[in-house]
Amino acid sequence: MSIAVAASSRRGARQVPLLLRLAARDLRGGISGFGIFIGCIFLGVWAITAVSALSHSLSDGVAREGRTMLGGDVSFARSHSPLSDAERRFFAARGLLSSVAIMRAIARYSDRAGLIEIKAVDSTYPAAGAAGLAPALPLPDILAAVDGVYGMVADEALSAKLDVKLGDRVEIGTSSFELRAFLMSEPDKLAGGIGFGPRVILSHDALRASGLLQPGALVRWINRLTITPARGHAVASDDEATRLIDEANAAFPGAGWEVRTRTNVSPQFSKNVDRLTEFLTLIGLTSLIVGGSGIANAVRGFVERKRMTIATMKALGASGSYVFAETLVEILCIALIGILAGTLAGAIMPLIINSLFGALIPFPLTSALYPQAVASGLIYGLLATLTFALGPLGRVHDISVSGLFRDEIEPSRTRLRWRYRLLIAAVALALLITVLTTSPNLRVAIIYVGATLGSFVVLRLLAGLLVALVRRVPRPHGLTLRLALVEIRRAGTLAPSILLSLGLGLALLVTLAMIDANLRRQIGQQIPGTTPSFFFLDVRAAEASAFQDYLKAHTPEGTVETAPLLRGRVVKVKDRKAEDVHPKDNAAWVLEGDRGITFTSKVPDGSSVVKGTWWSSNYSGEPLVSLDVEIADGLGLNIGDVITVNVLGRELNARIANLRHVNWRTLGINFVLVFSPNTFAGAPYTRLVTLAFPPGNNTARENAILRATAHDYPTITSIKVKDVLDAVSNIISQLAVAIRAASSVALIAAILVLAGAIAAGQRARAYDAVILKTLGATRWRLLAAMVVEYALIGAVAAVFGLLAGAAAAYVIVTRIMAFDFAWIWAQSLAAAGLALVFAVVLGLVGTWRVLGVKPAAMVRSL
Amino acid sequence: MGSEPPAVELSGVNIHLGRGASRVHVLRDIDLRIGRGEAIGLVGPSGSGKSTLLMVLAGLERPDSGLVLVEGTDLAKLDEDRLARFRGARIGIVFQSFHLIPTMTALENVAVPLELQGVVDALKRAREELAAVSLADRAAHYPAQLSGGEQQRVALARAIAGNPAILVADEPTGNLDDATGNAIIDLIFELKRARGTTLVLVTHDAALAARCDRVVRMRSGRIEPAGSDVILSAAQ
Repeated sequence: MSIAVAASSRRGARQVPLLLRLAARDLRGGISGFGIFIGCIFLGVWAITAVSALSHSLSDGVAREGRTMLGGDVSFARSHSPLSDAERRFFAARGLLSSVAIMRAIARYSDRAGLIEIKAVDSTYPAAGAAGLAPALPLPDILAAVDGVYGMVADEALSAKLDVKLGDRVEIGTSSFELRAFLMSEPDKLAGGIGFGPRVILSHDALRASGLLQPGALVRWINRLTITPARGHAVASDDEATRLIDEANAAFPGAGWEVRTRTNVSPQFSKNVDRLTEFLTLIGLTSLIVGGSGIANAVRGFVERKRMTIATMKALGASGSYVFAETLVEILCIALIGILAGTLAGAIMPLIINSLFGALIPFPLTSALYPQAVASGLIYGLLATLTFALGPLGRVHDISVSGLFRDEIEPSRTRLRWRYRLLIAAVALALLITVLTTSPNLRVAIIYVGATLGSFVVLRLLAGLLVALVRRVPRPHGLTLRLALVEIRRAGTLAPSILLSLGLGLALLVTLAMIDANLRRQIGQQIPGTTPSFFFLDVRAAEASAFQDYLKAHTPEGTVETAPLLRGRVVKVKDRKAEDVHPKDNAAWVLEGDRGITFTSKVPDGSSVVKGTWWSSNYSGEPLVSLDVEIADGLGLNIGDVITVNVLGRELNARIANLRHVNWRTLGINFVLVFSPNTFAGAPYTRLVTLAFPPGNNTARENAILRATAHDYPTITSIKVKDVLDAVSNIISQLAVAIRAASSVALIAAILVLAGAIAAGQRARAYDAVILKTLGATRWRLLAAMVVEYALIGAVAAVFGLLAGAAAAYVIVTRIMAFDFAWIWAQSLAAAGLALVFAVVLGLVGTWRVLGVKPAAMVRSL
Repeated sequence: MGSEPPAVELSGVNIHLGRGASRVHVLRDIDLRIGRGEAIGLVGPSGSGKSTLLMVLAGLERPDSGLVLVEGTDLAKLDEDRLARFRGARIGIVFQSFHLIPTMTALENVAVPLELQGVVDALKRAREELAAVSLADRAAHYPAQLSGGEQQRVALARAIAGNPAILVADEPTGNLDDATGNAIIDLIFELKRARGTTLVLVTHDAALAARCDRVVRMRSGRIEPAGSDVILSAAQ
């Protein structure tokens, strides 16, 4: 190595500590002016870290509590039929077997009736965990028959619904049951899915006594096994569970069970957690990216404040790249405050939520720190900071020293050097790759990244257009308008920053408002006269005709329809096992769990055949099935393909004869799978009956028919559609609140950026205000000019926000939620209008103080 | 006259600043030679190009045409980083507005050019330079705690800390009262004499300019031909 190169290497090695030393000295001046900068970074990093930590915590909690939540190590679930004796012997020989039966029914007390979700349990329940009861008595004692009356446990919601209290006797089916305790917590609630009525726990004997267990009744039998572990182990291993499942499937090949394990308690729940995690991560990322504008503004302000110092350093022998490196070190040190604080605050969220709300939330959170979450926050924070800070920092390289020799420092007009452009591109690419590789849904991530970049580009173009337009319009006569336009077109105008933060914030608000409105429209929209008011389940075939006559007699103005109803599972698709099929997102649900199926000789109302032909009314050949055309597409099926379903414990193959378009919006009787009538000849089934009232206020009629049918047909389950829609609407409302709360993080970031942009322009405004005041302008005149200025920028931002927000909502509602979209403007306009007013007021409040600066004080310092 | 090259040699230097309609021909065909150890007073009305000329010979502005040799080195042949190191090692600058770094103490301000050059005992040498300008007891003070005269003395110590061959002073007394300013000028000339430094001093003060070995007058970007444009030998 030559002496020169060696000297250069030694010099380079000494530069790093010198860089840190010089940066530390410069930071003695404090970090004032970086509040927004740190706040924007903190907010985004906190959101991303918290989401990751909570997601891991939830997954860990479900895994840890899996056995309790499932009620055993493995569960084998099937509709209609309980375990056969052989099956029972098989499982009982391998561990502790616990069987529960789940079904819906109507409970009656006095003149009130309401839908309940029955869980009938045996003496081993709960096999894992404990049910919370009030009073806290042994469950078998509560449920036992006393003087011929069985006991029941109910969720407190039943008390509100039927106005019952402990000791009262509630009628279910053909029997009465004494309410002996309230159910405060249910260890296996998550595995049971969403219900539409309060939970009621009975014993198996009690369920049999109720008369509800008729052939073909819609009851789901869930059999849980706590496997006897190998010697020396407290709990069976995952391998043992897998072996047992294989043995059971081999011993009973056509059993048609839906199998779950303690590590896969609720696939639907896990999927929803993934979706929620993805959505919330994108919200966190949005806040980080929206905050990026604040980061850039703060760094720009920092560079302006340090211009003299940087020029001096260059005069003393520091090169352009050296001063860039030194200011980069300073900015990173300050950014680390926000990054570390945000990461720490996000990482401890599981601990905070568990300690504050642990007793209230229905699913387990593990109180732990997750390195993956911490790493996620650190990486995103660092990359986002660099992406937005490198641009203004790169200009440090070319700060002219000439200002040291002259009184006035002109802002550098040079283009950013290529090395810094490439550096920004590299960092932005790293951020993009991080987003795409860590997202569970690549398609959504790509759409999000594209939409965000597109928004930035469009807003930047809009800002440029606005400034260019303002520069070209003839000078207005009015002084107020002229002053407003001067602020917009001046060099270094903050219009782009304000437009960016306001535009993105408004777009987010409008997106949320439109999605919310469309969801509610979907739920609330019913086609008058055809949408049923009631679904009646478990109508025995023998009583169906009489029941229909009964309904027609009680409600002559109503429309009654009926269809046979069984439940079955799709177990094979074209000879491939259902679990080996990779369906499209819109069809995956068909393969998960039991489905309602029917048979008929005619094309069902609300459906139309789009491909293939319908079977004749007296068809008697091989079993045929008609499939929803979109589901067929999602499963990769076509005319002539064979699917295998398991119904009542038997597998049957059916060939696809035709594909139908189904109008689900009517909420009428419609099925994904409709079989030819000969398919289930001789099989026990019940009938589904619907009752639809004409348009109008039918509340009194609905309540009357509910009471009457509960009294006269106690084994028939009546489901009031309005109650279901209300329950779904409630869930959506809660979800909407949660989404808005999460999105508020991004909105707060937008507000911070807006405040920062306004604050950044204060010095120039103060200067202008002083000059104008010495010339005779009043504060009100200056304020009026500001109102016009912010209103103009705000109007452009509002137009962008409305259009971009509506477009984003359209994509989300039609492509991701697969609903129809309606341009519901009222809420969006209201949201945009309010946000605009807020932004103008914020700008005025921030500027009012500046207008109060006394001219004399400022002039002395000029 | 020795065989050493002059401290500064400018030949046919032209420089334009600004763009489009605001483009100005600031320096026009400048030819100037400054001998080693010579003190030059650069005078002229505002806008005559004095500051720009200073920046050219300090390597802070690159001319559009012409040759700039400083201590025999063609500045055009140095890339940006080498130019910065050359400037830090060979040229000291004293500004009218001092331009001390406000977050550094007097000692640290003086040490900065030494640290940038990689001098190992930078702080020790900085302390010596502060002592040379009689400010050893103010080493730990920040610029805001110093008077104008003290700040300019710190700036002077910073400018000469690296023993530069050339000291450039741009109206060093412009922001000081007469008494303080005179003390600063005395100090500059004393240090120049003790170290044999070449001095280029921009001033509006005719009396101050007269203390220099030679006065160079500028007007409208050109050096005015005058009798005082005779190059004196370094020995004088």
